[in-house]
Amino acid sequence: MPPPQDPIYAGLGQAVRIGTELLAALIVGGGLGWAADTYLLGSAPWGLIVGLLFGAAAGVRNAYKAAQRWQDSSGRTDK
Amino acid sequence: MEESPLHPFELHNYVPISLGGLDISINKAVLIMWVVVALIALLMVMAGSARKLVPGKLQSLAEMLVDFIRGIILDTMGEGGMKFFPLIATLFLFILFCNLIGLIPGSYTVTSQIVVTAVFATVVYALSLVMGFVLHGAKFLGILVPPGTPGWLLPLMIPIELISQLARPISLAVRLFANMTAGHVILGVLFGLAISGGLLIGWLPFAFTIAMNGLEVGIAFIQAYIFTVLTCVYLGDAFHLHGHDEHAH
Repeated sequence: MPPPQDPIYAGLGQAVRIGTELLAALIVGGGLGWAADTYLLGSAPWGLIVGLLFGAAAGVRNAYKAAQRWQDSSGRTDK
Repeated sequence: MEESPLHPFELHNYVPISLGGLDISINKAVLIMWVVVALIALLMVMAGSARKLVPGKLQSLAEMLVDFIRGIILDTMGEGGMKFFPLIATLFLFILFCNLIGLIPGSYTVTSQIVVTAVFATVVYALSLVMGFVLHGAKFLGILVPPGTPGWLLPLMIPIELISQLARPISLAVRLFANMTAGHVILGVLFGLAISGGLLIGWLPFAFTIAMNGLEVGIAFIQAYIFTVLTCVYLGDAFHLHGHDEHAH
């Protein structure tokens, strides 16, 4: 099963992975904020705004964790 | 010849079945899933029937696959993760074969339906949650607090970690779905260009179609691999809370 070991394919996989990591956290954050706005608090734009901000932070954190894990696994610890 | 690039994603109902308003018709996706399951079963049964010490072609293929999955589990979860081997091997083989069989023209890519990938992701994530709570009890909620967080940061870190946890199944589902769909849309567009271009210029997009198909084979492997690795990582996170600090207490 050579593809995952192939550096080009491994890099491509990582790139795609980190991209969706950012997106998914934004969807969840924005979605939670929007849901809080519409169904719970009625605080029209603010839940969405705060949710998106938290989502962005969570996305960056996820991407950071993913990149960190990749660095650990590929043995490159040039800190 | 005008054809929508989304045409390959249409589900044709072969046998319409409706159960209490629920549409459970047998369509192209269901049919392909059955084919995939049959193929995997056939491959594994045929490969396992000989059991020679010096493996034949089929047996070494099966051994390579099993060894590959075993390697993923050992890398991410350690020896304790081997009890999930059946689940993870099933996921990997099913996704891989679905991705690959979708590249045969006229066939159907089951993993380009977000329903399918979302079910996989939900099952994996739910399993990791259940396992975490069974193994660690209420302490498992500590997964929301990264180790070494100062107290005054907690109101900020807990929502962020909560969102980043909830994003896991979504990123798992969206990644596989988006990659397979995007690849097939590109193939569809290129092939449409090739047909409408005629012989004079059409060979150029046709050549790209062939190149893209080759790339898609790689993507099919990568996506199956990433899905499997992340499944192991998520299960492993629930397994040993906060990396390897289970020795600490």
